[in-house]
Amino acid sequence: MSFGTMFLQMGAGMGKSLLIFALTLLFSMPLGMIVAFGRMSKNKIIQTAVKFYISVMRGTPLMLQLLVIFYGPYYLFGMNIGSRFAAVIVGFSLNYAAYFAEIYRSGIQSIPVGQYEAANVLGYSKTQTFMLIILPQVIKRILPAVTNEIITLVKDTSLAFAIAYQEMFTIGKQIAASQTSFLPFVIAGVFYYVMNLMVAFAMDKAEEKLSYYR
Amino acid sequence: MKKFLALLSVSALVLSMTACGGKEEKTFKVGFDAEYPPYGYMDENGEYTGFDLELAQGVCEINGWTYEAVPINWDSKDMELNSGNIDCIWNGFTINGREDDYTWSVPYVDNSQVIVCAENSGIASLADLEGKVVGVQAASAALDALNNDHADLVATFEDLQEFGDYNSAFVELQAGSIDAVAMDVGVANYQIKSRGEGFMVLEEAISVEQYGIGFKKGNDELKDEVEEALMKLVDDGTFAELAEKYEISDLVCLGN
Amino acid sequence: MDILNINHLRKSFGDLEVIKDISITVKEGEVLSIIGPSGSGKSTVLRCATMLETMDGGDLVYLGEYAAKDENGVSVYADKANLQKAKSNFGLVFQNFNLFPHYSVLKNVMDAPVRVQKRSVEEAEKTARELLEQMGLADKADAYPHQLSGGQQQRVSIARALAMQPKILFFDEPTSALDPELTGEILKVIKELASQDMTMVIVTHEMSFARDVSDKIIFMDNGVIVEEGTPEEVFASENQRMKEFLRRFNG
Repeated sequence: MSFGTMFLQMGAGMGKSLLIFALTLLFSMPLGMIVAFGRMSKNKIIQTAVKFYISVMRGTPLMLQLLVIFYGPYYLFGMNIGSRFAAVIVGFSLNYAAYFAEIYRSGIQSIPVGQYEAANVLGYSKTQTFMLIILPQVIKRILPAVTNEIITLVKDTSLAFAIAYQEMFTIGKQIAASQTSFLPFVIAGVFYYVMNLMVAFAMDKAEEKLSYYR
Repeated sequence: MKKFLALLSVSALVLSMTACGGKEEKTFKVGFDAEYPPYGYMDENGEYTGFDLELAQGVCEINGWTYEAVPINWDSKDMELNSGNIDCIWNGFTINGREDDYTWSVPYVDNSQVIVCAENSGIASLADLEGKVVGVQAASAALDALNNDHADLVATFEDLQEFGDYNSAFVELQAGSIDAVAMDVGVANYQIKSRGEGFMVLEEAISVEQYGIGFKKGNDELKDEVEEALMKLVDDGTFAELAEKYEISDLVCLGN
Repeated sequence: MDILNINHLRKSFGDLEVIKDISITVKEGEVLSIIGPSGSGKSTVLRCATMLETMDGGDLVYLGEYAAKDENGVSVYADKANLQKAKSNFGLVFQNFNLFPHYSVLKNVMDAPVRVQKRSVEEAEKTARELLEQMGLADKADAYPHQLSGGQQQRVSIARALAMQPKILFFDEPTSALDPELTGEILKVIKELASQDMTMVIVTHEMSFARDVSDKIIFMDNGVIVEEGTPEEVFASENQRMKEFLRRFNG
C-alpha cells in the first residue's frame, strides 16, 4: 500500500477526529460555563452536586467514562445507546466541560472584587457587569490554560477507540496491523502535530489580540 | 445544551431501534478486531475483510441477512456482545478456556499458540527462553496459555511484556528489545511472510487450541442458523477456497 | 435641601459590631470629611451609603427618598427599581481606582452613561471629553489605564464618576494608594470640585486637606462619632481621643 493510499484511507478517520474535536469544543465550552456557575453557586446542594460531578470527571479516565456511557445504559436499564458517535460526543463534552469549568472558575475568581464594585456603583446590571466587565478580562487570563486544554483534546480524540469509534488513530492501527507497517503511526503523529501547530498559532494570535491591556 | 444532548441520545436511540426492527431485513452484526489479520483486518482499499469476515458474508448470503462488519475494541468484546451491538464474535476467537462463557459454534480452526523469535537468536526450545524478554498481546489467548499452562516457564523469563497489538511487538522484536513473541500460529505465519526473512517459529508449541464463533450465552437459535449455513459453505468448497486464499489451509479443521 | 440622610446606622461583621448608631446629614453643596483611625468604621459608613454593604439597621435616604428604611431595628431595602434610582444619585471614587483595564480612558468615562443611562454616544463622548479636559487628561483619551500614572488613573476615575452627573460624590481614601508626590494633584481636583459646589463626602487621612476643603468634619472611632462640627470646632476639640489622634498625625 502506498503512502498516498494510506493517507487517503486515514483521511476519513481524520474527518471523524476533527468532528469529535470541533463538537466537543462547541458543547463543552458553554457547558463548562454553566458548570462553573454551579460550582460557585451559593446554593449548597447545587455546589456539592457540581463539585462531585467535577471530581468524578477529573478523577476517572476519560476512556472509562466512554465505556460507561456507551455500555452502561445496557447494564443499568437494558437499553442500548446504539450510536457510538453520540456516546463519544457526550462523553467528551461532559469530561471537557468539567475541566473548562475549573479554568473558568479560576479566571472568574482572579478578577479583583473592585471591578464588580465599580460596575455596581456605576449602575451596571449583573448581566452587563459579567458580560462587559468581567468576562473579557477572564478570557484574557484563562487563554493559556484553555490552549493547553484544547491541545490535549486534539490528542485525546484517539481515546474514542475505547468504544470502537473509527476515528483516525483507530483506523491507523488497523492499517498498521494489516500492512505490518509503522507508517500509519507516522501519519497519525504528523496529523496531531500539525493540528496542534494550528491550534497554538490561532491561540497565539488571540493572545496577541488581547495584549493591548494588562 | 441539555436539551440538545437529550435530543441527540433520543435520535440515536430511534436510529438504533429502526436498525434492529423489521423482521424480513435481518442484519447480522459480526464483531471483530480489525487488527487481527488474516481473520479480520482492513485491506488495501480500506475495506474490512479476512477469512472470518468472508465466511460471515457467505453465511449472510445463504440466510438472506444483511451483512454488517462491526470493528470492536477487543477489550470490550463482552460488553459489545451482551449489549447487542454485535450478534457474534467471529475473529479467530479461541474456545479453550472460554468454553462456558459463550454459546459456541463447532470449531473451524485448530490453532496453536507458538513462540516466534529471530532465526539467529539461538533459541530452539521453550526452555531456552529462560532469562529472555517475551512479548505477548494483552488479553490474548497466548497470554492465557502462558499464564495458565506455563507459569513455571514464565517465572524464568526476565520479563513478560504485554503489547496492545502484534505490530508493535514485532517492531520491538526486530529492534531486539524483546527476544521472542508468543502468538497464534496463523498470525505468526502471516507476520513472518509479510516481514520477510529472519524469523522462525519454535516447533514446541505453548498450547494447541481451537477457534469458534462465539454467540451470547444461550443464543442457540442464532448459533444453529449460522452453523447450518457455515456447513453449506464447507460442503460447496467455499470454506476450503477461502482457507487457501488466506493461507491457513493447514489450520482449518472442517471438511477435511 | 438634604442630599443624604443616614439615620441610626448599625453594621456588624459576624460578632464584631463595626458601626454603632451613626447618623449623618449632608446638605446640597456641602463637603463632609470623615476622619479617624484605621478600623474606626469610616470606610464601612461609606460602603453602606453606596450600598456596597447592606446595613443591619437604620435608614438610608437620598433626596428625601428611602433606599433603606428601618423597621423594628432592621433595615428594609427598597425594590430594585427604586434602588437603581437611588444609585443614580451618587458616584464613588475608590482608593484603588478600579478602572476597567480593557477599556480605553475615554470608554471608561463614557460607557456607563451610554449603557446604564442610555444617553446617546455622541452626547456621552462630548461630556467625557470635557471632563477629561477638566482633569487635564485630554491627550490620554485613547490610552489604557495601565499606561497611566496612579494620579492620572485616579483623575480618570473621578471623571468616570462625574460623567454620571451624580448629586453627591463619595471618595474612599482617594490618595492612600498614591505616592506622596501624586496626592497633590488629586487634592487639587477635589478642591476645584468643592469650589464648583459639588456635594462630597470624603473619607481621608489627609488632615490639613480635610481642614481646608471641608464644611463639616466627622471624627469617628470604634464605630461611633466622637466629634463633629466645622473644621475649626473639631480641630480645637478638647476630646481626649480626638486630641490623641491629631497628635499622632502631627507627629
